[in-house]
Amino acid sequence: MEFKRFLINKLILFFMLSTLITVAVALIGSAYDSEARFGYDSMLTPIKYAGLCLLPTLVTWSRRELSLKELLGRKALMLLLLEGVILLMAFTSPAIDTERADVVLTIAGSVLVIFLLANLFLWLRDSAQAKKMNRDLQMFQKLHG
Amino acid sequence: MDVRIEQIGKEEEELVLIRCRAVTEEVREIAAFVKSRQGSLSGTAEAKQYEIAVTDVCYIESVDGKTFLYTGDGVFESAYRIYELEELLRPKHFLRVSKPMLVNLLKIRSIQPAFNGRFTAVLSSGEKIVISRSYVKALKAALKGE
Repeated sequence: MEFKRFLINKLILFFMLSTLITVAVALIGSAYDSEARFGYDSMLTPIKYAGLCLLPTLVTWSRRELSLKELLGRKALMLLLLEGVILLMAFTSPAIDTERADVVLTIAGSVLVIFLLANLFLWLRDSAQAKKMNRDLQMFQKLHG
Repeated sequence: MDVRIEQIGKEEEELVLIRCRAVTEEVREIAAFVKSRQGSLSGTAEAKQYEIAVTDVCYIESVDGKTFLYTGDGVFESAYRIYELEELLRPKHFLRVSKPMLVNLLKIRSIQPAFNGRFTAVLSSGEKIVISRSYVKALKAALKGE
């Protein structure tokens, strides 16, 4: 894939992740520490997390198109790196009580859910494109068949 | 080689005649080109030569430097390279959908999403072929007639 196209895809992913991380932080925060209040600087947290989460996604880049097996392998590696990055951030953040196993597990689970949701959105986008192509294909075949 | 074009009357049969000292690869290529323009391609299977109607070809694949034509019920080896067939068969609605593959757009039954921006074309023969991400844009444009 062209590196430019790859970067555009990553930018789309960045915005998706920012939104999903905001939702995840809101849900986890409400469940475990609903009384906490933060300053304006905390608004940047999802953006910082999304930016850091983008770094592991670079492992999926390849000049040639990867086979399905290769792609699944790299996606699995990406998920492991993502879990590593997020947990590292959680363990180094004074605001997160990482001594509680349930908090750590919830964070790790959230990363997995966001990863699956991001891939689901991409799948839905491709499905919509396929639907449109099938309509165009029918028209094309009517015209030329 | 000199090229002459002679206009004939409606009652006479049209004919392309190649007069040559030896049937070389070049002569075969010219003959194959004329046949393909008329809607057929030469292909070999089990050491026999066949004329295959272009409309019967579902897809064309290049494997280890050899080019194969796939109809619903047979596989034929072609003397052409895939890039030559791409040029030759563009007006017959063939389109490249991955590096080694051309597909007959009129033989696609449906398009399904695959993984990570790729798609799968389900052909009228029931076979499925992968549409590479880098060829999706060209496919969309071709289907819109652009």
